[in-house]
Amino acid sequence: MAKSLLVVDDSATMRKIITRTIRKADLSVEDEILEAGDGSEALEKLEGNSVDIVLCDINMPGMDGRTFVKEARQIPSNANTKIIMISTESADEVIDGVKADGANGYVTKPFTPETIQKELAPFME
Amino acid sequence: MIGQETFADALLDGAKEVFETMMFMTVEPCDEAGHVIGGSALLGSITFTGDIEGCLTVCCSYDCAKTIAVNMLGAEDEELSEDEVVDAVGEVANMLLGSLKSRIAETAGEIQVSIPSVVSGTELVNSLGEGAAEISQVVNIDEETARFTLLYRDAKV
Ligand SMILES: [Mg+2]
Repeated sequence: MAKSLLVVDDSATMRKIITRTIRKADLSVEDEILEAGDGSEALEKLEGNSVDIVLCDINMPGMDGRTFVKEARQIPSNANTKIIMISTESADEVIDGVKADGANGYVTKPFTPETIQKELAPFME
Repeated sequence: MIGQETFADALLDGAKEVFETMMFMTVEPCDEAGHVIGGSALLGSITFTGDIEGCLTVCCSYDCAKTIAVNMLGAEDEELSEDEVVDAVGEVANMLLGSLKSRIAETAGEIQVSIPSVVSGTELVNSLGEGAAEISQVVNIDEETARFTLLYRDAKV
């Protein structure tokens, strides 16, 4: 079954790049890809929709990505939602920290389309 | 100040990584010393704090910014709004600082990054005042010219 996706980034350009990368990849994704500009907007989207995979930036005004992961993991209905972080942060402490908080994957920016595809692939089954 | 030469190399290498990976564009140092970005330009900047503090800026003409945005989004010119062009410059500054940060982590320590902002105008410059080091790289990106500047100083203890 096609997966439903939510792309979270404060930059509209980056949301568009990620969305286009996913569309071009040969992945079974629902037609509408949801978008949010920060963590709190993303939490609202999760509440009103059934989302399989969230692709989330870390550095955002308002609620940042790290706080979003912690908050999202507090809500039982999100238990099966996979969260993949996409960030310019490449320090191991940050990557390990956000995974410990409940993120399932991590992609550093800048990224190639292949990196996004590879990271998504295991969650597409 | 410590690190100037390392930072200059890291800035150029970081820019190459960002542009080659995200835009499939090549970045080469511009031999024209003191090249000025003339006319109406965009300046994307992002500040940081930590053991050193300062800001990183990306300055280029509107046309150059548009070319960058078109390459980033794989879009045709006419599909892009001005907001998208402006936003793209901010994201370039964001990614450039990320790439630079991982390259200078050993010298500069851990730094925290702000949210990028973009202004437009002519003869745009940034200043941190006295005691700050400035490293600039003027580069050719495909047919266009851009300037990347890192301003920094040791954080007050
Ligand atoms: Mg961001």
